[in-house]
Amino acid sequence: MPVPWEALIPFGLLTAMFGAAGTLLNVSTRAQNQGKPARYNIDNWDDMMMRRDKQLTGHKRGQSDNPIAPAGFETSSVWFTERTS
Amino acid sequence: MSTIQAGSVENKPYIDPTPLPDHIPKVAELGVTSAPLKSAAFFIGAYCKEYNEDFMLCKAEDRNPEHCLKEGRRVTRCATDLTHTTQEYYHCRKPERSLNACMFEKLGLTKTIPGTPTGQVPIHDVKNPYYKSIQK
Repeated sequence: MPVPWEALIPFGLLTAMFGAAGTLLNVSTRAQNQGKPARYNIDNWDDMMMRRDKQLTGHKRGQSDNPIAPAGFETSSVWFTERTS
Repeated sequence: MSTIQAGSVENKPYIDPTPLPDHIPKVAELGVTSAPLKSAAFFIGAYCKEYNEDFMLCKAEDRNPEHCLKEGRRVTRCATDLTHTTQEYYHCRKPERSLNACMFEKLGLTKTIPGTPTGQVPIHDVKNPYYKSIQK
């Protein structure tokens, strides 16, 4: 008796589409985080440390174990400002 | 408020390139980023305990940045001292055990987590900890 394999095509499509979307999202977030999983539950401390990492390495997920800061580090921090006029 | 405030988001970051005045002694800032600092955090806390406590007490007196520059320099120098000698915790528990043992033998520093409830095994000594793909 012939098996209605055509009925399984929608399931296959759904799996493929969900899989593709999920994979693409994963790859995209990892690419934005230098190959690492994205950080979550970032509190103000973590935000501050990531801003400092960006100052030191150029990317907010960049890491370095150089004990001395690069030249110009002391004056390269971005100030939170607002125009008053 | 009945008036609408105009937005004030700048598209260029505001960076002030003026260095500190010359009468303030210079200290080399730490170049270590957050991950090595986090792994060395407890050891920095043990090694630089007096300087850190001095700084926190000074800050408790007066939040003005100028007031605690000297204590801050001491904290930086102490941490630089330690980072010159050494460098998400549960992925690294196994190497951490050998690091802790090594730190204890060579430098005499132990890692203690303050605030662990009495009777509970400190998390870094738990034999089979739970694992996640990323800590946070």
